Amino acid sequence: MNLLKLSWKNIVYRPLSSGLSILLLAAGIAIILITLLTSRQIDDKFKSNIEDIDIVIGAKGSRLQLVLCNIFHIDNPTGNIKYAKTKFLNNHLFVDKAIPLSLGDNYQSYRIVGTTHEYVELFKGEIAQGKLWEEPLEAVVGYSLAKKFYLKVGDTFAGGHGLGESTHSHDDMLYKVVGVLERSHTVLDNLVLTSLESVWLVHSGEDHQAIGSFNYKTIDDFGGDTLAMKTYLDSLQTINIDSIVEAQAVVEEFVDHNDPNHDHSKCNHIAHHPEKYKEVLAAMDPMQLEVTAVLVKVKSPKGKMMIPGMINNMDGLMAADVAIEMQLLSQLMSPALGVMEMLAYVIMFIAAISMFVATFNSLKDRQYEIALMRVMGSSAAKIFITILFEGIILALLGFLTGWLLSHIGMSIFAGYLTEQYHYDFSGWIFLKEEIYILAGALVIGIVSALYPAFKAYSVDISNTLSK
Amino acid sequence: MIKVSQLSHIYPGGTAMTFPDFAFEQGEQALILGQSGCGKTTLLHLLCGILRPKKGCVVINGTDLSDLSGAQLDKFRGENIGIVFQSPHFVDALSVKENLHLAQYLAGRKRDVDEVQTLLEELGIGHKLNVSVKALSQGEKQRVTIARALINKPALILADEPTSALDHKNCESVVNLLKGQAEKCRATLLIVTHDNRLDAMFNQKLILA
Repeated sequence: MNLLKLSWKNIVYRPLSSGLSILLLAAGIAIILITLLTSRQIDDKFKSNIEDIDIVIGAKGSRLQLVLCNIFHIDNPTGNIKYAKTKFLNNHLFVDKAIPLSLGDNYQSYRIVGTTHEYVELFKGEIAQGKLWEEPLEAVVGYSLAKKFYLKVGDTFAGGHGLGESTHSHDDMLYKVVGVLERSHTVLDNLVLTSLESVWLVHSGEDHQAIGSFNYKTIDDFGGDTLAMKTYLDSLQTINIDSIVEAQAVVEEFVDHNDPNHDHSKCNHIAHHPEKYKEVLAAMDPMQLEVTAVLVKVKSPKGKMMIPGMINNMDGLMAADVAIEMQLLSQLMSPALGVMEMLAYVIMFIAAISMFVATFNSLKDRQYEIALMRVMGSSAAKIFITILFEGIILALLGFLTGWLLSHIGMSIFAGYLTEQYHYDFSGWIFLKEEIYILAGALVIGIVSALYPAFKAYSVDISNTLSK
Repeated sequence: MIKVSQLSHIYPGGTAMTFPDFAFEQGEQALILGQSGCGKTTLLHLLCGILRPKKGCVVINGTDLSDLSGAQLDKFRGENIGIVFQSPHFVDALSVKENLHLAQYLAGRKRDVDEVQTLLEELGIGHKLNVSVKALSQGEKQRVTIARALINKPALILADEPTSALDHKNCESVVNLLKGQAEKCRATLLIVTHDNRLDAMFNQKLILA
């Protein structure tokens, strides 16, 4: 028997009031820790993904959306821009890198990004298996994605249309996996990367898709107004079709193609003839090719000042300064985190009061015990320490429970976050702030036990025993 | 062994109580008798030093209790005096065995499982070793408090109305146990009581007015 054991026995002897104190403290600590773990991981993800990007250029809309969509891949695109209009950036004096991104399709709700090899370099991505893409429709998959869907070099898959769960898939043009990336703890982990050309090609199938809606109208719906038909075709497709004859051929081929009895091996459709990819690409009008955004890294701060000005003056284009938008985002988020923090502190405060009341109440029942211990030879200091130990043990248990709850909760929550944002969150990362929280819990334990301990210290033995 | 001289005490707002001088040798056994309210419990508290007298002194084994500081007195009490109280109280969170180990620990001794076991068996409650103190009968509780008073082999055993809550059968066996154990470790035994049943069992008596 020693004082520590005695304190422990006293805690166990009052499971309800001890349990309540522990639970309240644990709840406060769990909320603080989950808030910390989430905001820290989001912060880290944001920091590692901003990397070297200074400016994002895209279609007019929300600047924050432009940044969220094209850097963090969590919001929808603002629209498309003509790639040709941004080409000048490649040779601009103030620009270090200008990396085009073309979004629009997904694989199992993970984004397929048409881009250049520079995008991989930007995040210091390393190839784990295979190589980077060279030819159209070759794809490189990110670490987490490959792991989740068991993708490896040589596999093929169809991209789904759109960025969410899609109903329509481009199953006529299959991507071929040529490489898998090492884990980089950046957005790369959860992306499929391919060339810009691949996205253009797959979406040249969109004329085929668009003409598909023609099929419901039929050519006759245009009542022989070939000009209207050509305008309509032009508005839907990226392949530059010069003559009406050609357009009609495309339409007829599509109608034929959709016939269940159609023999794909003999037809002329490019989806079945990869050797024609280049030919088709060459036929595309370079002025019409579109991308979703261009990520720009400037050479000097001057570029950061000048380029957005230039871009914003151009028709249909908009530039977003990443630093400014991130500042805005954290301003948007901080009140929410603040509320969580306040809530946690309130709960911790209630926990402190609960511990105080529990210890103080139990002392009333234990007055005689304490007097008895004094008679048995215990000094007043030992009694004081015993009560203090009780507060400390309760605080430690509260911290431990809260700590476990927060990490287990976070690892469950992480699965959901990963599913939602396609970022890798984890419940099992540890912060140095946890030490401070432990210290805080101990302070709560000690402070709430201090007064009861003093009361126990100054118990009048004779008086108590005479009662 | 224990010597009391010119002892008197006064509670705040109360009247002064004066006690007769007396002394007992090592191994002597005596009753201190008196009616309720004559200061029996106060005397007992003065004897074991949990109450400081207004006047006079208590000397145990050559140590004047008034010379000791608070913590020294606590230690002295733990090492030299075993006390049996009127109503048996324990540290409720602990088992019988743990309560006795606590007594050993607080007296600054090592925990001794065999000693506890042997003593409990001598008191006829060896089978209650691991039982919670809450689960004991009144008679058993009184035996455990005796065990607690004896466990550190004190030089002086003080008992405050140890039999008032007990029936005849238990009363006799508890007093016999106290006497037997005190004899065994040559301790001086002083029982403060107004229980007439005990009269015949002791030769020495001190009567408080």
